[in-house]
Amino acid sequence: MSKRRRASDESRRNFLKGAGLVGAAGAAAAVTPPVTANAFPAASQQKLKAAVPGPRQIAAETMAPGADPVNQKTSGGDFMTDVLNSLGIEYMAINCASSYRGLHESIVNHGNNKPEIITCVHEDIAVHMAQGYAKIEGKPMAMACHGVVGLQHATMAMYNAWCDRVPVLVIGGNIMEADKRAPGAEWVHAGVDIGQIVREFTKWDDQPASLQHFAESAARAYKVATTPPMGPVFLALDAELQENPIPDPESLRIPKFSPVVPPQADSGAITAAAKMLVEAQNPVIVCDRLARTPSGMANLVALAETLQCAVIDNAGRMNFPSRHPLNQSFRRGIIAQADVILAIEMNDLWGTLTHFSDRIVRRSRPSTKPGAKIVTLGVRDLYLKANYQDFGRWQDVDLAIAGDGEASLPALTEAAKRLIDDGRKSAFADRGARLAKTHLAMVEQSKTDATIGWDSSPITTARMCAEVYDQIKDEDWSVVGTAIRLSWMHRLWDFKKPYQWNGGSGGAGVGYNLPASIGAALANKKHGRFTLAFGGDGDFMFNPGAVWTAAHHQIPILYIVHNNRAYHQEYMYLTAMAARLGRGVDKMDIGTTIKDPNIDYATVARGLGAHGEGPITDPKDLAPALKRAIAAVKAGGPAVVDVVTDPR
Amino acid sequence: MTKFKRIAVAALAVAILGVGVAAAQDAPQGNAPNGKRIYLADGCFTCHGRSGQGGAYNGPAPILAHTALPFDAFKSQLRNPSDDMPAYSGTVLSDQDIADIYAFVTGLPGKGSAKDIAILNN
Repeated sequence: MSKRRRASDESRRNFLKGAGLVGAAGAAAAVTPPVTANAFPAASQQKLKAAVPGPRQIAAETMAPGADPVNQKTSGGDFMTDVLNSLGIEYMAINCASSYRGLHESIVNHGNNKPEIITCVHEDIAVHMAQGYAKIEGKPMAMACHGVVGLQHATMAMYNAWCDRVPVLVIGGNIMEADKRAPGAEWVHAGVDIGQIVREFTKWDDQPASLQHFAESAARAYKVATTPPMGPVFLALDAELQENPIPDPESLRIPKFSPVVPPQADSGAITAAAKMLVEAQNPVIVCDRLARTPSGMANLVALAETLQCAVIDNAGRMNFPSRHPLNQSFRRGIIAQADVILAIEMNDLWGTLTHFSDRIVRRSRPSTKPGAKIVTLGVRDLYLKANYQDFGRWQDVDLAIAGDGEASLPALTEAAKRLIDDGRKSAFADRGARLAKTHLAMVEQSKTDATIGWDSSPITTARMCAEVYDQIKDEDWSVVGTAIRLSWMHRLWDFKKPYQWNGGSGGAGVGYNLPASIGAALANKKHGRFTLAFGGDGDFMFNPGAVWTAAHHQIPILYIVHNNRAYHQEYMYLTAMAARLGRGVDKMDIGTTIKDPNIDYATVARGLGAHGEGPITDPKDLAPALKRAIAAVKAGGPAVVDVVTDPR
Repeated sequence: MTKFKRIAVAALAVAILGVGVAAAQDAPQGNAPNGKRIYLADGCFTCHGRSGQGGAYNGPAPILAHTALPFDAFKSQLRNPSDDMPAYSGTVLSDQDIADIYAFVTGLPGKGSAKDIAILNN
């Protein structure tokens, strides 16, 4: 990071006053130029000179320069720190940078390190940590970066947070006034409108021009970010504003913040939806990013049990207990039998209700039966942007209800209860019993399937997940990350608490899993939960430095590297391409595998200050390694277990 | 010895001895060790797992270990697959290669009893 030249002690407001005088002088050339010689460059001053200098001009040019203060008692950063603390922001993840050194210093000294600084070795780590944290804690943390180069590093993680509808407060330092920038790095690190870098995947951004403006924009940013549909927000902070003395402290006011109560759906629409669901023979609920507080899961369970209907959880959040008898998430064929589908806070409804073929001619057909009615409930479509296509393909629906899913569910449940007579109660109970039976069969089937290749090396993913669960099942566990298409946890484990699952990346941008899991572990730490995560080897290598952050800040987490030594999805895609062309299917490891040499993730972890185990190739060695790693986590730090696995 | 272990040992013996196993009477004679080599080299394992335990590509990839699928259906799925599975033409996979792969996967140990594995019953 650049070392910025010492800024002028002159306050920004004073400078603007001087600039005004210059303008006035330029308009009337005969007027004597201002005496504030350091307010404008010599060249401009020359232009304004009269042919014969007057006495004030001579004095200005010959008198000794004014005092050049070297100390100050307050800074704008102090006030900014107070504002951030007023919003209840617990942490600020940073990769330190000169363009926000004023705020950084204020947080450390004026705020006594509150919000607590979390040191990250890459901005992608900082934002992803904030994303993982927010989903567990239910509120945003902040991250700070250089406004141009750091922000560009942060963009991938911000895009993930955007697609995942997660609030993150991103702050980027900038030097707005050109004549305050030192030569060199400060010019390449500054921009006129740095928010435009991330505007396509943030809900809102601003570049405050005064401290009061900052206070109000910070409160607004927090409010916008945390109002469903949630999302990341960005504030550009002028360095002068952070660093210089507060010119008029008496005029500053910390705004009163009141969170927005999430919008409930229209009561008429709720009644109509309840009628459709109650009258249906085979209603099915599908959901994705539904639960945003601990109440979310309970609300969905209440509706499902009222209707005794199937629930298919796309697992964007901890929406529904994995072993609930009505959970049919691994029996998606049930969608074809549904006569009414209630889709709550779905990200990709069309994809969930459609069979799509990834072949030479890409075709699709509905998975739903003809005449099936589709009801949507959620806020997903209330805030869209044009460029990035994360909104997915258009889905025809019969009733689209705008309203926060979690907030609207109790009313829907009550409306349904009012419509259920005794006859229906009996029919619903029969339906629930049938679903419970199929659920139980699914669980038993999963256990039996898991036996295949039980003692194989590389270790099967089923064995890996079973061994881990055996060791953590009696802890107050929270699993906060996973590798692509690793479903064994949800097939075998008993997920039933609101914090036991944390969803996925959102944008499928690789590099999310390790830092986001550590961010979630940071949130879990104060609750005393045992945090663990699985993650792919490819993802690990995007942001391995996150392990150092976990070690440095003593964030306990058990991180299991699902090491299949490949970007495995791409390996399969490449094989499909070669097979399509009838050539070279035996060469598809080129460019898709991570081997020769194999990466030793345990050694990498130890080098970053964490406990490391592995590489483990024999399944018999897994349990002892996990025991040692869990002991290290319980001692307060991170542990990485490298498990050499079969692909999926 | 548990039933699951007995199956595993039997399958291992098949693999070591290179005995072709055909689940269907009309399946051509296959060479299981060569089938294993092709299965690993040509990417079958990437979706279906080295133990034939199944996995996932764009969607679930079925279990192949000890498959009950008749040879003709197995071959048909390779040549003209349903869903997103890649089609393996004769230029990359001969009929004999398919027979060898079939011999390999049908010889793999199938599902065991979950009851015999304590940690699967948590």
